[in-house]
Amino acid sequence: MKLMTGFISRFGSNFHFDEKFVVEEENRFFLLNANLKKAATEGFFFAGTYLGKVKNDRFFPSFPLLSMIAEGKANKVMVDKKTEWLFICGRDVFKRGIVRAVGSKKKGAYTLVINQHDECLGFGRITAALDETERGLAVKNISDVGDFLRREKTR
Amino acid sequence: MLGIRLEKIPFVQNGYWVKNAKFSVGATSEYLLGLYSIQEAAAQIPAALFTDIRDKTVLDACAAPGGKTVQLADLMQNTGVIIALDIKKQRLAALVNQLERCHVSNAIVYEMDARQAARLNVKFDGILLDVPCSGNFATDENWFRQRTIEDVERNAKLQREILKETTAVLKDNGEIVYSTCSLEPEENELNIDWATKNLNLKVERVDCCGEEALTDIFGKKLDASVRNCRRIWPGQTQGFFVCKLKKRVDAA
Repeated sequence: MKLMTGFISRFGSNFHFDEKFVVEEENRFFLLNANLKKAATEGFFFAGTYLGKVKNDRFFPSFPLLSMIAEGKANKVMVDKKTEWLFICGRDVFKRGIVRAVGSKKKGAYTLVINQHDECLGFGRITAALDETERGLAVKNISDVGDFLRREKTR
Repeated sequence: MLGIRLEKIPFVQNGYWVKNAKFSVGATSEYLLGLYSIQEAAAQIPAALFTDIRDKTVLDACAAPGGKTVQLADLMQNTGVIIALDIKKQRLAALVNQLERCHVSNAIVYEMDARQAARLNVKFDGILLDVPCSGNFATDENWFRQRTIEDVERNAKLQREILKETTAVLKDNGEIVYSTCSLEPEENELNIDWATKNLNLKVERVDCCGEEALTDIFGKKLDASVRNCRRIWPGQTQGFFVCKLKKRVDAA
């Protein structure tokens, strides 16, 4: 839980859960509601909203969690259509593809990457201060929704 | 605009045939964001046959790869509870991938044989039984070479066992939607005839495409209500069989 809340805070987000509805199952975290909590028994494979997993002391977020963070105050870069496509193919974000940025623009900060419909495509790390750089690499891709296809291929 | 030509499927509420696409519709950002799913047309029918299931408790007994589970969650608007089972862990990975992609938040998934549903200690308002079946030649060109009558009979027996064990966890007046992509009477009409005579289930009329099911098969006259089932012959869709069963109030 600590790793997850630490991860969320790296986006400058104040998003938080009601911890009594967060359940851990084999290093994976799920957000339940009252109905699900009543119905879920031990040993489930998946329940409610998947939040992410911990592996080797690192937290790996789910895409629903990133979307939840994106709904509130957080570091975000909005990208144009072409950059959206490149990003979900696993590519990094270049400065010219950024339409707007909110929250921290500092080098090293984590930022969500959203499209022009405010839909969260994934996240990355800012590689050059967004206020200062004119061109070139701006956000290094860490995770993007194209991962759903990559998982299918590796199964 | 995007280079995709769609045509509305007349017999399902929110389905479209992809008539032409310049790229894979399974690799767009809209797909990856869960804004739509890809599912065979006839396979979209069963989940839609339930009476309003919002806020209800629903069992998807043979759930993987999850297309119908996502559809159920959509119909329930993420309210209530879906319990989704599948016996194969490998197939569960595909199922939960779909749930995550489509932001489903009302499902609990177990690696479990549908015949063990009683272990959950839950009574269900609705049960979707899209049971394992022999398939049909429309989706498998080697179908006639790879199947024997013994295979069909083995599947029919498994399907009856699933029907029996899941009926035991269905509330009175609860609904089962039973479907297969098989065209074999043993897996369809004969099983439903057996269920009406042995499980206190009655066949409900459904408003959906397809022909009335057969009631005179291999010289055997079936219960007249079996006619309410729907048999969809391959053509615009794969071959399919679907029906809605209701548990009688006087059931033991």
